[in-house]
Amino acid sequence: MKGTKVAYFFLLPALLYVLLFGLYPLLYNVSLSLRDVTFITYIQGTARFVGLGNYRELFANPIFQRTFSNTLLFTGLSILFQFTIGFLLALLFNRSFPLKGVLQSLIMVPWVLPIIVSGSFFRWFFSDNGMLNGFLLAFRLIERPIPWITSGHLPIFSVTMANIWLGIPFNFVLLYTGLQGIPEELLESAEIDGATGWQKVLFIITPLLRPVILATLTLGCIFTVKVFDLVWIITQGGPGDVSHLFSTLSYSLAFNKLHFGKASAVLIVMVLVVALLTALLNLFQREV
Amino acid sequence: MRWYRLLGIVVFLDLFLVVLGGAYAQKVTVTIQDYFDPAGGMAKFVDRWAEEYMKKNPDVEVKHVYIPFAQLLPTILQQALTGTLPEVVMADNPWVPNLIKAGVYLDITDKVKEWGWENWEDFFKGHRDLTSADGRVYSFQVTTNNLALFYRKSLLEKAGIAEPPKTWAELKEVSAKIKEALGIYGFGFCATASEEGTWQFEPFLWSNGGSLLELDQKEAIEALSFLVEMVEKGYTPRDVVNVSGQGDVTQWFINGEVAMMENGNWEFGWHLTPDVLEQLGDVGVAALPVPKEGVKPIVPFGGECYGIGAGTKDPKKLAVAWEFLSFIASTDGMLAANLEHGGLPTRASAAEKIAAQKPILAPFLEQARYALPRPLVGGLEKYPDVSSTVWTAIQRALTGMKTPEEALKEAAEAIRGLFSPEEYEAYRKQARELLAAAAQ
Repeated sequence: MKGTKVAYFFLLPALLYVLLFGLYPLLYNVSLSLRDVTFITYIQGTARFVGLGNYRELFANPIFQRTFSNTLLFTGLSILFQFTIGFLLALLFNRSFPLKGVLQSLIMVPWVLPIIVSGSFFRWFFSDNGMLNGFLLAFRLIERPIPWITSGHLPIFSVTMANIWLGIPFNFVLLYTGLQGIPEELLESAEIDGATGWQKVLFIITPLLRPVILATLTLGCIFTVKVFDLVWIITQGGPGDVSHLFSTLSYSLAFNKLHFGKASAVLIVMVLVVALLTALLNLFQREV
Repeated sequence: MRWYRLLGIVVFLDLFLVVLGGAYAQKVTVTIQDYFDPAGGMAKFVDRWAEEYMKKNPDVEVKHVYIPFAQLLPTILQQALTGTLPEVVMADNPWVPNLIKAGVYLDITDKVKEWGWENWEDFFKGHRDLTSADGRVYSFQVTTNNLALFYRKSLLEKAGIAEPPKTWAELKEVSAKIKEALGIYGFGFCATASEEGTWQFEPFLWSNGGSLLELDQKEAIEALSFLVEMVEKGYTPRDVVNVSGQGDVTQWFINGEVAMMENGNWEFGWHLTPDVLEQLGDVGVAALPVPKEGVKPIVPFGGECYGIGAGTKDPKKLAVAWEFLSFIASTDGMLAANLEHGGLPTRASAAEKIAAQKPILAPFLEQARYALPRPLVGGLEKYPDVSSTVWTAIQRALTGMKTPEEALKEAAEAIRGLFSPEEYEAYRKQARELLAAAAQ
């Protein structure tokens, strides 16, 4: 009994930390999102309680609707490609070949680069007079520059491409580490039973990797829904407002328009979406 | 036997510290808070004033605190909420109406009257309008900047052009010749998804008689259509919607990718420093092109304001804060500060003196006399909202998502929706009056 009390005592710092820096800001954010908080009402303390008014306005606003679908598209495509490419690379690197070590560290480059660097690079890479268009023009693949980030429909796909590039190393490392844990004997005996390469992947590797795969997807979802810096550096949510994600829309509502209440509401929606996605993935894990 | 000796020393040291601390506590601490780059001219100027003041007044400690640009507004917000505002509060000029309305600044009207009302009247009208409300004075704008046309003489000459363009038609013509002769872009401006995008559009809008609060009118549509045409004809890179800021356009200009650009006088202290100017050897500045001959280019102004924090009650602290304010707002103080900072003075007397020393600033100084405060012609405390609606519309039109008419019609509706009908009418009228006064 005494032992448990001591144990709780040791828990205290962590608990305080979570309460102070996790729960309190979250609850404060919820309370902001239910009030009409702007610069002036915030200082004067005269922000009215508007209930779900901020949320209602957001969901009726076409910019927010677009942001919602943008975030889902961005997350879905990013995860799909990052995971597939990362998985294929992990399978490739699971066998030995010359220069493996060098290539492996090269794959990590996107993860090591500060986002301000890769973001600035992509802004130039995708611009009308940038590297991508220059390349396509030089090889006569196109006749005039493609407006990757200067048009209405392409920018969200362009920033998604940048994010896929950025996320491959993360997926690769986790899956590669998982692959190392699969006993060699299992694969060997499968080979003796006459299993082809793809059969081994489908019926041995994938089931055994299931916990790792789910962890990778869960973390990937959480990271991707929250992405801010990359998109902010490349497009600032523009042109117009066609490439906003929840995070960039919230920032621009708070610090461009000084609507702190609405900005908080966007963030709460973002937290709910993350929670929902994580819960769905957890459901898979339980089914094992 | 030694322990009591040790105790004696400790007691003595303690007493010594208490006495020292007492003397220290009597010192009055006054804080000047701003976002000027600590290595830059303005910060050094303020530091020097603080040092000299402390030398003359040993009982006063003046602290100069730097807060990065992005942090200043949140910091002021927090300080205002907790009653810990510093004695001297600096702000970027578009925030000032919000800060006055939120009660961040102390009313200094009586101090100004004591100082001499003629000092106040020496400030250009736009700056007076911005830093006062209902006839009361709340802060001083001490430095300003605005936008003009930068051009590369040698590039223009290569295309057979002797004089920089004065009208929109000439700007188009010159750009066409440059494109044909040199294969580069004629004209660069900044159309990012930020205040910079709106601010660079305003000269085109206002010089053509348009208003931020009546964007569906033909004057506004003409202004935006002109910029859209520049992009569509390939005279301006479409990338203007995605530059990280006005500095990027200057990079194009320095690299010779654009022959002319719309930009501000701060560039002389940032990218176009004396050594760069010398290296290029062909940079000229002219007033921004206007819709037709005989029209004045009406530009918005930028720059920073100092005022006294609302919580400053102690008369001693108030006196120090006012001493600083009235020095940096005096003709000579403002002149020296701006020479070091690379900005433009906001008082007629100081502007005259700086024009004699730096002739390249002439077009900026001429425009500064009637430049407009953005919030006062754009819905006052709702200006941030108005501005973001405007830059969104500009980007939609420049990227061809919407025609200028459609984009501006939507923006006009959204802007009307920000206000009650009476509010809207009042702000619209105020904007019209200020625009008309500037155009005269």
